[in-house]
Amino acid sequence: MEAPPVTVMPVTGGAINMMEYLLQGSVLDQALESLLHRLRGLCDNMEPESFADHELVFLLKGQQGNPFMLRARRSLLHPTAPWHLRYLGQPEVGDKSRHALVRNCVDVAASHSLPEFLNEMGFRMDHEFVAKGQVFRKGAMKVVVSKLLRVLASGNTENTEPLSLSYLVELSVLAPAGQDTVSEDMRSFAEQLKPLLHLEKIDPKRLM
Amino acid sequence: MQQREEKQLEASLESLHSRVSHLKASLQSFILKLEHEHDRLSWPSVLDNFALLSGQLNTINKVLKNEKTPSYRSQVIIPLLLSPDRDEELLRLTEQRVPVFSHEIVPDHLRTKPDPEVEEQEKHLSAEAARIGPEVAQKLIQTLNKLCSNLLEKLNNPRDDRDSEASALRQSKPSFNPADTNALVAAVGFGKGLSKCRPPVSVPPGHPGQPMMSTGPTLQQVTIAGTTGHQAGMGGQGTQQQPGQPGKMPSSIKTNIKSASASMHPYNR
Repeated sequence: MEAPPVTVMPVTGGAINMMEYLLQGSVLDQALESLLHRLRGLCDNMEPESFADHELVFLLKGQQGNPFMLRARRSLLHPTAPWHLRYLGQPEVGDKSRHALVRNCVDVAASHSLPEFLNEMGFRMDHEFVAKGQVFRKGAMKVVVSKLLRVLASGNTENTEPLSLSYLVELSVLAPAGQDTVSEDMRSFAEQLKPLLHLEKIDPKRLM
Repeated sequence: MQQREEKQLEASLESLHSRVSHLKASLQSFILKLEHEHDRLSWPSVLDNFALLSGQLNTINKVLKNEKTPSYRSQVIIPLLLSPDRDEELLRLTEQRVPVFSHEIVPDHLRTKPDPEVEEQEKHLSAEAARIGPEVAQKLIQTLNKLCSNLLEKLNNPRDDRDSEASALRQSKPSFNPADTNALVAAVGFGKGLSKCRPPVSVPPGHPGQPMMSTGPTLQQVTIAGTTGHQAGMGGQGTQQQPGQPGKMPSSIKTNIKSASASMHPYNR
């Protein structure tokens, strides 16, 4: 049950198709402090925002093709805030010279009955994790430094263990399709974080 | 003779006044920038501002040290006439800050003694200097000169020297582990290492050292590759029960979700 390609998506009420440009890297726990200092200097001058989110990934397995994946995320720090539902498409296989991973991205907010609703629709929860970390922003670019934690007992977010000894760092920009200058800006920003951290385009299919 | 001195005094006062007004203007703009645009400021531009201020302070110092400037210490300002009336001329000269040349204004503006804290510090410094004696002072001056010249040498040396040193330092303390990157990206991308069919060997938390980390993800890789291969193979059938999810009956309700394309819109225009 694959979502149709970007070009034939219905244009509903003026919503523009947003693409997510993504660069990912990781940094060891002991180097986290220096990375945070550097990010505080490079990014917009605001107090870095901490977050603790519980993300559930739902899959809809159709009879054919790849399963359809939806990500539901809720904040553990703000329990009354709405859930965030996100669809991420397959990475666009454009020219290899593009520096960032580009994929279609649809974000909506949802009420707290989201998991039940998705279950009724036929989605089944494939996996879940807790992400804790900080968000930095520079203009349109967003840098998320997060520690991924494995949930040991399904649904119980208190009982977690870290997935690895590193923090995941993601640099992302949400922009309408077709703006390739964005990846240039992202690459120059990533240059400024070397050698502490190598942000690069990692194709998830390669890691399967 | 006196006229020449007077002329010199006037000229030096003019130049001092202009330098100080430049400094004031740049301080003002810097403060405005900090107040109104502080969330858009970048460190290099703040550094530029500081550099500008330091340059201006330097020129003021130079003006004061210039041989042509007469010693201001020998000049005395005596107020000849104090009045509590508003003085428009004074207002104009001081940019609306001093309206009245009266008894309250004069002691503040015409004082020559430094602030009490500054006076204390100066006293400390001169006592300290008197205490250590000339030889010790000379030695201190020499060490300071040596440190400065060392630093200058290091900064002026060709880049290759610096780079080779820096790269050696970098190698000893890597700040990221590529295996970890892959593991984390795979976990976020499609739940490798997170799904319910977890292998019993999990990465022990807080384990020091790197060699352990590289074996952790590979162990998980082996097990998960087995299960994902299995699941992908079953995608086409969709009726069999999946391993590792015991107790879940496959849904016999075949959901038929079609994307809402323009042709299916009930209210066709």
